[in-house]
Amino acid sequence: MTAFNHPDHFDVAVIGGGHAGCEAALAAARLGARTLLLTQDLDTVAQMSCNPSIGGVGKGQLVREIDALGGAMARTADHSMLCGHMLNTSKGAAVRSGRAQCDKKMYQFAMKATLEVQPGLLLVQDEAAEILTKSGRACGVRTTRNTVYRAKTVVITAGTFLRGIIHIGLDSFPGGRYNHPPSGQLSANLKELGFKLGRMKTGTPMRLNARGIDFDKCERQAPDSPPEPFSHFTTAIKNPQLPCWITRTNARTAAIINRSLHRSPLYSGKIKSTGPRYCPSIEDKVVKFPHHGEHHLFLEPEGFDTAEYYVNGLSTSLPEETQIEIVRSVPGLERAEIMRAGYAIEYDYSDPGQLDYTLETRVVPGLFTAGQVNGTTGYEEAAAQGLVAGINAARLALGGQPLVLRRDEAYIGVMIDDLVSKGVDEPYRIFTSRAEYRLLLRQDNADLRLAPRGFALGLLPPSLKDNFEAYRLAVQTLKDGGKPHKVQGGPWTLEKARAEAAIEKTYGIYVERNRREAEKMKRIDMLRIPADFSYAAIKALPNEARHKLEKNRPLTLAQAGRIPGVTPADVQLLWILLEKRRGGKK
Amino acid sequence: MKLPDPSDTIAAQATPPGAGAIAVIRLTGPAAFAAAAAFLSPPAGKPAHRRAYVLAVKDGSRLIDRVVAVFFKGPASYTGQDTVEISCHGSPYIIRTILNLAVKNGARIAGPGEFTLRAFLNGKLDLAQAEGVGELIASSSAGAHRAALTQAEGELSARVQKTRTALVGLLSEIEARLDDSYEEIPALHRRAFDRSAAAAHEQVLSLAAGFEAGRGIREGLNVVIAGAPNSGKSSLLNALLGYDRALVSREAGTTRDMLEASLEIDGFTVRFSDTAGLNAGRASRLELAGMARARKALAAAELVLLVKDASIRASASDLRAEKEVSDAAGKATVLRVFNKTDLPARRSCAGGLLVSCRSGRGLGRLRAALVARQKKTFSDGAQAVVTSARHFEALTGAGRELAALRALLRAKNPPLELAAERLRLALGELALILGETAPEEVLAGIFGSFCVGK
Repeated sequence: MTAFNHPDHFDVAVIGGGHAGCEAALAAARLGARTLLLTQDLDTVAQMSCNPSIGGVGKGQLVREIDALGGAMARTADHSMLCGHMLNTSKGAAVRSGRAQCDKKMYQFAMKATLEVQPGLLLVQDEAAEILTKSGRACGVRTTRNTVYRAKTVVITAGTFLRGIIHIGLDSFPGGRYNHPPSGQLSANLKELGFKLGRMKTGTPMRLNARGIDFDKCERQAPDSPPEPFSHFTTAIKNPQLPCWITRTNARTAAIINRSLHRSPLYSGKIKSTGPRYCPSIEDKVVKFPHHGEHHLFLEPEGFDTAEYYVNGLSTSLPEETQIEIVRSVPGLERAEIMRAGYAIEYDYSDPGQLDYTLETRVVPGLFTAGQVNGTTGYEEAAAQGLVAGINAARLALGGQPLVLRRDEAYIGVMIDDLVSKGVDEPYRIFTSRAEYRLLLRQDNADLRLAPRGFALGLLPPSLKDNFEAYRLAVQTLKDGGKPHKVQGGPWTLEKARAEAAIEKTYGIYVERNRREAEKMKRIDMLRIPADFSYAAIKALPNEARHKLEKNRPLTLAQAGRIPGVTPADVQLLWILLEKRRGGKK
Repeated sequence: MKLPDPSDTIAAQATPPGAGAIAVIRLTGPAAFAAAAAFLSPPAGKPAHRRAYVLAVKDGSRLIDRVVAVFFKGPASYTGQDTVEISCHGSPYIIRTILNLAVKNGARIAGPGEFTLRAFLNGKLDLAQAEGVGELIASSSAGAHRAALTQAEGELSARVQKTRTALVGLLSEIEARLDDSYEEIPALHRRAFDRSAAAAHEQVLSLAAGFEAGRGIREGLNVVIAGAPNSGKSSLLNALLGYDRALVSREAGTTRDMLEASLEIDGFTVRFSDTAGLNAGRASRLELAGMARARKALAAAELVLLVKDASIRASASDLRAEKEVSDAAGKATVLRVFNKTDLPARRSCAGGLLVSCRSGRGLGRLRAALVARQKKTFSDGAQAVVTSARHFEALTGAGRELAALRALLRAKNPPLELAAERLRLALGELALILGETAPEEVLAGIFGSFCVGK
């Protein structure tokens, strides 16, 4: 095919239309960047390839943060919610998180519609094959149809598509998701550009037809009534809510699995890459916890207009015939029909240690990566990275300060700092235990933490700014025991302010202590270590610390301090040398 | 990580370690005046800049020392921040107590080179001067590193490690429940959890209590040289030191006051006190006073070198000295040293060490015996010993957090996220001894013990 140069010039080209790609493209376009979104298939934009569920502990906080920064995930989830829960209600506010089953198709269509009406955003169905560079900087994309799109910055959100291989039993075939071809050329191209790529694995369970499920034998899990919306801007969930159902595996299930392990790609050694420990396959659970007689299964509807049920807890890559046996050994599923088999997928990821905090790669300036391609897992983790990458790509193209969130500001900051400073050795999922300032990073105060940034960036509607400021003031006044003024003209209300002030008060000293610690960290957080900083020349550094620092190449002094094996004394030494260097340059 | 933060208030001994007549302790940072005022009396009110005050250091109502304190208002100070310099008497006990008081009142023990770092950051040092700072830090951390290799520190680390493992286990138990999206994990086993928390708390407290016991290791073996007049105690001190610390003469009773000197032998510090001859017979008032001091020194001794003159017959004066030593010396081991063996022996020297201060004979063996004794102290330490004020601070901090944790656990429905916060804070304190606890360790604990996830 002969090459043709697309007539439009872009500021930001986003590759991939998943959760990361959608947020990246929307944010960039909303910031005024001329934006391109390239996707293999416009019918699977924002597809929830695994569980059609948004949120969960830690993840729910991410969704709220994305929302406070003007992202689309929370609103889309509210629009398509079919079974909403607030988790951890028996525990404190700091660890409460929303989680909701969504209608898979409704979610996709709503997101696609949002993209379609976004001014400045061009949606194109084509597959990226090559990142074009000019003097080492990204300058565009060439597609498999040989079209060239010129762009000042490029954001790759390829998900599990880079050299994806699907496994069902001992059969395997290329695929980025079942029935979707993988992206082979882009992976090879990244390698050529000098990226360090690794291999990871994840999996998904089978989907069942509701007519074969005996719900009477299952335990009913009622949705919250009314469910709490994710978005700060949603007043109420309009959809009717459906229940989910709980059943359990048993000794017979375990026996079937144990005698079929030789046909498992995981246990026969066919899959060598690492899967997520927190999202184990049923074969993993049976093998690692043999003393557990049973494992919970959650049957979750995939939509209002479909009979398909997702079998949460039964992720597997055993052969299809074994999957049927396994399912039918479970009470309530004796006559179940598998519509789609469960499978495992292996894919390439790009070592996130190659990223800057802005999610721009340090390998190719102007090129950003976000989402599962960075070794994470989860729609929320992907969307959050997409949002940050989109904002920063637009800022880089148009000029302006990048958005970097600190660990005390947002789970997004915790995640990106973890990725950048520690890399990954299994698919990275957010946990509240990863956040040292957990009591500050609550889902209830995501707006107080991040909406000011959202407004400043121009990603939240300016018309709501007064409403938000009045709310913020009211929370502060109530906390101080004063009488608040009215809060009106938007989604933020006085009632909400009262609830928020009450939560802040319960955490009182703890929150203050967290804040003080965070404040201290801020100073050294801002001290950047130049890329050409030489540790080898620092004789005073102990060997262990020097090796670790050379290997990790921390971006800031605080990051250096978080590397295991680097002591406070080492940090102090670095500090002096950094200050000296700065002083020397003045 | 507890990183060097210039907005903390820090304290450290500014004079070199070891006993000197005077020691200087410095506090610097925004709360330096307040921290010092909390244990100095009478309160200086608003102290005048750079004026010296004579004040009492009090630990509660107990008088610790009378000191000279000078207050420097920032930025006109060494570090550029408010600074208090306290000149106290050079006893290790006094120094340690003052540092502990500073910590109790909001300061923390400074890291190596931290005062200089502040001076540098606040523009008090120019680039050329700052050149030396890196080396300073390097040399002190190398020193600390060497210290970390000693058996005692290894023992401490092993103990703290055990506690830390227990705390990580407890934290995993809680985190598993907090991060459990599907609420599949059974509720916390309260009684077992409370028991483990109490055990960890006690471990931390007992380690902190080992601070007192362990100070000898840092400050050196306390050796008292005692014996009858003219047995050659001062000669022995001089011979061991290799220079004339003490005035010696043929005349009995030359040493009336007590002399102190310390010596490094094979990397171990030994502190010697040379005492006045023990002879209750016919003594002047001055000699009596000297002997009273000797008895006091014996009571605090870890090892007594009981010196005897091998060239004369055993005398009543020797027996008295034996009795004095066995009466006054508390837990100390007594090592008999027969001196003047260059002269013909006039008595049985069985069970003792033969030396000649004049020829140097036997001194090597005596040194070896001292080292062996010190090594024994290290390995005997049934209880791990905390040797540095910094470790003490960390253990005390961890103890505080665990006490708060246990208070939280008394509630009917303990707030798990707050319990987790206390555990993390406790682990953060122990990080000063062992390094950081990475969240991955906690996650590994969760995934190792619980089957979580979809």
